[in-house]
Amino acid sequence: MTARGPAPADGRPWPWLVPAVLVLAAFYAVPVADVLRLAFSDATLVRPPERWTTAALSALLADPALPAVLRTTILFTAVNVIALQVFGLLIALTLVRGEARGLRGMTAFRTLVLAAWVVPGIANGLIWQMLFDEAPYGTLNSLLGLAGFGPVAWLSDPEMALVSAVIANLWQGTAFSMIVFYAARKGIDPVLYEVAALDGASPWRTFRSVTLPLLRTAVAVNTVLVTVQTLNTFDSILALTGGGPGRATEVLALFTFNTVFYNLDLAGGSVLALMLFVVAMAMAVLVHGWLGRAR
Amino acid sequence: MRARLGDMATYAGLALLAVFFATPFVWMTSLALRTPAEIYRGAARLIPDAPTLDNFARVLSDPAFLVYLWNGLKLSAFGGALAVALAIPAAYAFSRLDFRHKQATLVAILAVQMVSPLVILVPLYRWMERLGLLNWDLSVIALYGALGMPLAVWLLKVAFDAIPREIEEAAIVDGAARWQVLTRITLPLARPGLASAFVLAMVTNWSQFLIPFILLERDADWPISVAIFNFAGSVSASTTQLLAAACLIAVVPAVAVFAALQRMIVSALIAGAIKG
Repeated sequence: MTARGPAPADGRPWPWLVPAVLVLAAFYAVPVADVLRLAFSDATLVRPPERWTTAALSALLADPALPAVLRTTILFTAVNVIALQVFGLLIALTLVRGEARGLRGMTAFRTLVLAAWVVPGIANGLIWQMLFDEAPYGTLNSLLGLAGFGPVAWLSDPEMALVSAVIANLWQGTAFSMIVFYAARKGIDPVLYEVAALDGASPWRTFRSVTLPLLRTAVAVNTVLVTVQTLNTFDSILALTGGGPGRATEVLALFTFNTVFYNLDLAGGSVLALMLFVVAMAMAVLVHGWLGRAR
Repeated sequence: MRARLGDMATYAGLALLAVFFATPFVWMTSLALRTPAEIYRGAARLIPDAPTLDNFARVLSDPAFLVYLWNGLKLSAFGGALAVALAIPAAYAFSRLDFRHKQATLVAILAVQMVSPLVILVPLYRWMERLGLLNWDLSVIALYGALGMPLAVWLLKVAFDAIPREIEEAAIVDGAARWQVLTRITLPLARPGLASAFVLAMVTNWSQFLIPFILLERDADWPISVAIFNFAGSVSASTTQLLAAACLIAVVPAVAVFAALQRMIVSALIAGAIKG
């Protein structure tokens, strides 16, 4: 009797990959190509492109708003990427320690952090807007008042507004880094910690010499993922400050959104979208390099 | 002794963080239970003197609000299901078949996940407008399916990898075609992975704002995420309690589903993160 049917691990992959490839082509590849075309055209949202031009690009480069937007974006992203990972790592390691010691409440705490993660971005912005309410009866200001401190201009002061936006983003975003670091920490061989304990290494020394070096790949990959996520964030800022006061919290993604859908400047918005895309892809290439090396 | 001190430090640290993470939820609840007069009392009264469910009743008595919730549920559930359905064949091929450039293709699919919806929405909006596909829930669902697919491929591949090949090989030797093996054996065994991928995609869709905001122009088609943004634009400070109630209503379904299933979802994510 001969074996019928396909042999294991054999078979052509393409029939299986067709749905995914079609979706990627229709919803990613072709649109991105179209963005590229629109970026070098004179199209607006209500008028099709008529000729090739770099007018949109040069208009954008001459736009005095752009340096401010880029500065805000870099500041917002950099502070978030550092703070998200410091918090995420801190929480992940504390949870692992608590679980190893059999402490109660670890799952409850993890659930709480994850709950903030699934709050819709718009709701996140609205919720923090209420917390940052600057009226005397506003949440944080009235709490500060009870403690004897003066009111803080959470959202009306340009510098403070950016800090507030970072706080709101930290509240929501920390869970992602927590999961990544939690998973990576669980993947470390426990024997290493036993050896460190036998050698009488202090917790700090163990962290420096065992945990941190072995989490390096996770930190590298997570840095990239979190950077891209933060860069793409705009709905929570839209709901929290609308980008204001002035342009104090207008990040690149929000600027793109406003350019296309409020100013109806399709060509200019496409140039901005292209910038977002190039940064994201550069980051993806970095991840690929790290993953390739780790394997 | 040292371990005990460490435990205390652990609890102290987590307590501090718990205050930060819990405050927005606690405060929204407090505001949503207040009468208009009590809003002005600020932090002096965390638990209102006269807690009231009026705000929830008022928000939910608006029939439009129920429609928004239903729209949100419909769009995110069908979008999540579509994402998983699109991902199954590809994930199966990545898990079971050997082919050239497999690793590179898999990383490319994940890289796609990094493209902001904003980037692809610019051209898609124009095409859909020209083809008359705006204001159509199927357009939004299709887009949700496309956006959710890459992560679903990754999660399902990991789930399929966890199922021993021997089980499938027995069926193949018995003469079953590969697609029969997939539908009859692999998929039923991968139920937790499928469920995790679906719930994650669905929760992401529930949070989506940009796509429905741009593609759906009619009030009656909006999901809850767009509706509360619009609602917030229409309220003055005297209705803070209503906005708080509306936000809670938008947030609670996603949080409840996620909290109930978090053990399953977190283990799926962790498996994915380790493999990745």
